[in-house]
Amino acid sequence: MAQEVKTKATFPSVEWFNALREIINNDEAYKRHGTCDASVGIKIPEAGKYFVINFEAFEVEGVKETTEAEAENTDFWIEQSYDQWQEMIKNIADNGKADLGHTLNTLDVEYPDGLARSNDGYRRDLFYRFNQSFQHFFDATAQIETKFS
Amino acid sequence: MTDASTTGIPPELIQVSEENGIPLDLIRRALALGFPPDAIRQQMSMPGVTAEAAEQFISEQEKIRSGGEITIPDEVLAISREKNWPEELIKRALTLGAPAAMLIQQMKAGITAEQAASFIAQQEQMRSGEGGAPQLDLSWMHVPTEWGIRVTPGKKGLTTGMINVGTYADIPDFWPYHSEMPRGAHPIPGIPAMGYSIYEKAELWSENAADLYEEAIQRRWRPSTDVPWESMEDLPDAVEKAMCQLCTHISERSLVAGDIVGGWLPEMSYGYHEVKLYLSVAEFDVARWFEVFRKRALSNGGGMGIQAPGYFHRTLIDARAWTEASAALHILAAGQLMMLFQIGLYTAHNEAERTIFSYCLQDVARQRAYGSQHLKYFLSRHGERRQEISHVLNKYEVMLEYEWDADEPLRGALMILLGGGASAEQIAEGASKLEYFRKRWANDYVDQLAAAGLGERREKVHHSIKQYISEPEEAAAAAA
Repeated sequence: MAQEVKTKATFPSVEWFNALREIINNDEAYKRHGTCDASVGIKIPEAGKYFVINFEAFEVEGVKETTEAEAENTDFWIEQSYDQWQEMIKNIADNGKADLGHTLNTLDVEYPDGLARSNDGYRRDLFYRFNQSFQHFFDATAQIETKFS
Repeated sequence: MTDASTTGIPPELIQVSEENGIPLDLIRRALALGFPPDAIRQQMSMPGVTAEAAEQFISEQEKIRSGGEITIPDEVLAISREKNWPEELIKRALTLGAPAAMLIQQMKAGITAEQAASFIAQQEQMRSGEGGAPQLDLSWMHVPTEWGIRVTPGKKGLTTGMINVGTYADIPDFWPYHSEMPRGAHPIPGIPAMGYSIYEKAELWSENAADLYEEAIQRRWRPSTDVPWESMEDLPDAVEKAMCQLCTHISERSLVAGDIVGGWLPEMSYGYHEVKLYLSVAEFDVARWFEVFRKRALSNGGGMGIQAPGYFHRTLIDARAWTEASAALHILAAGQLMMLFQIGLYTAHNEAERTIFSYCLQDVARQRAYGSQHLKYFLSRHGERRQEISHVLNKYEVMLEYEWDADEPLRGALMILLGGGASAEQIAEGASKLEYFRKRWANDYVDQLAAAGLGERREKVHHSIKQYISEPEEAAAAAA
């Protein structure tokens, strides 16, 4: 089911993640998954771009661009190549949400080191515990007209 | 016929008055004394009642009500002395309007003075206009527990952890009560023990238990309606059979998990309700797994498969301590179960299967979160028992691997699902992928043990698990 596109932003950028944050914080369906408390790093190594997203209670509390070390100093970080990020975001845009081959769980299983990585096994499990919320978060990218830098 | 003399007298009393020759004036005086109409009707209808006896009774009552001395009839006095009813009690009964004949009857029937006193007290209260309210002992309102507690809901509403304030946040290292008294309540001496066996916090506590409870409640799902069952389509025969075998296996493990936690819950004393609350909803989680996997097996043209050999299950059930059971169930077994859910997700053929395995991954991750943090807490308080836990894990790892080798139906089913079919080439591909998933599980397992404070087990796990463990250098190189 297609989602209505309301905003434009370039990936990867803090503006893009903030646009997503805005969408999620006004999405009642996201809240119905339950509370989600996690600091999540985002790594796009070839682009030299690193971000930290803070999920708190029923909303995305904040997004910031940061260093690689800070991105890894989180509960877990999601790391993909630029091409992999692009493929995932485009798949979501084309289908309204991730198809069977592009969900976070599927990608996590396909990558030998996992999609979600951490220095702590307990903290990494937050990726699984709040997975419905994180999937909803990324599925909402269908509402952004994404330009790839 | 109604005239002025009958005004204010209920019709049924007029009728009884006419039938029994009781003057209406006597009835009016009885009503004025406050006797209920039913009681008047009953008394007038008794055999042998005369107008003279009624006059005598009403006059005596009018004298009593105006403060006159109460005269106890001789026959009543005689029996009261025989039956040990105090005179004062008789006078109180007469004041209430109890006929002498009724008092005699009750004393002869064996009603004790205490029984009569209780009834009379009730009647006196009703007559005093207090609406019939029973006498209450309100001393419970002055119970010496902390009062004035207020908690303001936060971003997450009002959660279980938020109400742990003041003395209600005191979670002692040893719980001293043997009954089901909630923490913070005031005990009643002498309440019989419930027979718990776990009174030490270290033996069950996990710092995240309250949060896990809230999370489990918020993230519960309904297999009946949250799974898009209509998305399922016919699968190749071998694939459907393989999926059904996987479903059979998981549903059996769910029953076992429920039995294990269900057996230990009654052993846990109430001082640590956060843990009991979380484990209760974890029971709900595994019941839901049983439900959804049985439904999957019986909803797409397949059926149930063959049961598991059960060696590991029986070993789990034989655990002698909760920490042992939890480590085996919530870290070792849960990790393998997570692998099975990931395989199910990876090979999902439709939205229904994707939904099922995604939700199950959420559920099992919570169980691991409890397991690893409980073990961490236990070891922080009982560092001297590290070797014991390691020894326990040796046993369970052996049995898990033995079960894995013995359960050819499960391994075969997984290979068919991963390979997409039952041809030789597909099974070979499936076997290769199964090794990939086993490697992921093994490394994930030692990571969980490290998070729980048992990092050294990386070198000590069962050899059939150790073969999959990436050395740190190897892992770093792979990531680079």
